[in-house]
Amino acid sequence: MSAELRGAPAAPGVAIAPPWVYHAVAADGSSRLPLPDAARLAADEVVGIAARLREKGREAEAEIFDAQALMAEDPALHDATAALMANGTDAAAAVIQAGEAVAAAFEEIGDEILAARGADVRDVTARIARIVTGDAIPRLERRSVVVAADLPPSITVELDRELLVGIALEGGSRTSHAAILARALGIPAVVGVVGLGEAAASAAELAVDGDAGIVHLDPDAETLARLAVVAETARARAGHDAELASTDLATADGHRVTCAANVGEPADAVAAFAAGAEAIGLFRTEFAFAGRATAPDEAAQAAAYAEVLGASAGAEVVFRLADIGGDKPIPYLPLEPEANPFLGIRAIRLHDRHPELLPTQLRAILRASADAGRRASIMAAMVADEHDLDLVLRLVADARAAVPAAPAPRMGVMIEIPSAVLLADRLAPRVDFMSIGTNDLTQYLLAADRSNAALAARQDPLHPAVLRAVGRVVEAAAPTSCGVAVCGEMAADPAGALLLVGLGVDELSMEPRSFGAVKRAVGARTLPDLVALAVRAQLMPAAADVRRAVGDAS
Amino acid sequence: MAEAEVEVRNPSGLHARPAAFFVRASAAFTSEVLVANLTRDATRTASAKSVLGVMGLAVSRGDRIRIAAEGTDADEAVARLSELVRSGLGEAIDGA
Repeated sequence: MSAELRGAPAAPGVAIAPPWVYHAVAADGSSRLPLPDAARLAADEVVGIAARLREKGREAEAEIFDAQALMAEDPALHDATAALMANGTDAAAAVIQAGEAVAAAFEEIGDEILAARGADVRDVTARIARIVTGDAIPRLERRSVVVAADLPPSITVELDRELLVGIALEGGSRTSHAAILARALGIPAVVGVVGLGEAAASAAELAVDGDAGIVHLDPDAETLARLAVVAETARARAGHDAELASTDLATADGHRVTCAANVGEPADAVAAFAAGAEAIGLFRTEFAFAGRATAPDEAAQAAAYAEVLGASAGAEVVFRLADIGGDKPIPYLPLEPEANPFLGIRAIRLHDRHPELLPTQLRAILRASADAGRRASIMAAMVADEHDLDLVLRLVADARAAVPAAPAPRMGVMIEIPSAVLLADRLAPRVDFMSIGTNDLTQYLLAADRSNAALAARQDPLHPAVLRAVGRVVEAAAPTSCGVAVCGEMAADPAGALLLVGLGVDELSMEPRSFGAVKRAVGARTLPDLVALAVRAQLMPAAADVRRAVGDAS
Repeated sequence: MAEAEVEVRNPSGLHARPAAFFVRASAAFTSEVLVANLTRDATRTASAKSVLGVMGLAVSRGDRIRIAAEGTDADEAVARLSELVRSGLGEAIDGA
């Protein structure tokens, strides 16, 4: 039998391919590569991007990257950077400052085309800085299982989906962004595999079993035959789930809950409706900002949002305002590194530093809504209290004044900060809906970092404290017309879904691939049964007890 | 030392693609090549081998530029680069 390493299952399916090891940035940001080498690598990357765009017939975009390739190795930029470094600035900061100076000079000249090129200078200098510190944007050369300590989402979205067949992470948890993305993209993934980096370095081939949470090193014929059976079973199950697409998400006694989808791209929205989604409960708009060189302008964003609204056939679509920052950095929005990014400047907290970000996005959503003739739902992330809500509502009012043709949007807040749970009775009367982000809520409530694999067992949203928090939000909304949804991983976990229905949540929003399993689990129980289960679970000592109780009861 | 003056006829001046074209062509010469935008500010020069420098001159359609070179292939550089600018740097321009 071939060697195997155990981790936690993160996305189902089987993938077999050679390993491709990704090395992340040094935590101290220290330089590893001399600047000219980093600049050449940056130019190479940019030339590669231009070539890929050209293959797809996107000539205009390709030309932007042609110019960036020249900028990367520009002698004037290098002289300016060297001068800063001579004064003691480290290489990464120096190249960013030098680029910033050029971009600012371009903007000062008062020539619109030139000012726009400033964004390219910033983009390419950010790229060089990343490479200098060792955080290169990787490129896959062949079908690969990507092996990493953890995979930042900005990297995940840049990897070629045709070649990225599986993900195996030494760290991470089921709710880390790489795992969520893997499930959304249907890429088998295993996380929390101790010793993986070292073992994979000497393996020619890896087999990722995303159902069992096992990584096989150089699998033998017997293992491959067994995995073929697993893969076939998974395909059969997927086929059965497809048959459930037109079935309601409802208890055995007919209590209906809205079956909604979490999606990251317009194309995924189309697929979600085909899989039986009644709504898009979470459209993660930050994916429209990632994987590109410059900020998407209002028109580009509006086009992307209109595509989602167009696919909705009148069903609700919840646009979550860009949750950028934290662990989701964006190349063209330079942010200082933070010691605790999850507790840092992210989502609406970015407004002070980048005051155009939210207004542009809000106008784009409303423009798409006006063009499609459909009402949009807008949700703000990281709302801590009523002052945060005031800001969001004020910005929405301004955007509506700019786009008077748009129908009034439904307004919502994401409940993920514990303060918002405690203040839910103050928020509920002022919004149309609240959507509980159980991934972040769990890490904040239990003070357990989502990206720390050693704490994976402490990140279980089935924890009685999380259940009580959900119950409190439902209670706060009850006397109002405010709806309560859950859009975290908990909704996609059949055990979690049973408890959420019992707690009185109106909508479960999840990756469409979980619809079948959740519908089956909920459909097998009655509402009184689930209410009783939820009440009991809230009185249990910890998450493991709840999981056991739900398992025994189902 | 060699130099020439030439008018830029590209619709969007020496931005992006024409600038990149010009800089790539300049890089083929060993001489130091400097450019100035006579229409905007004749005293500011930029290296013809720096795309950021050339773009920073904000050369618009109809602006006159001076190309000056110093080095072993200076004459050839100025002749070739001014001819490239006259013929549109790979773009279609009026009268070319």
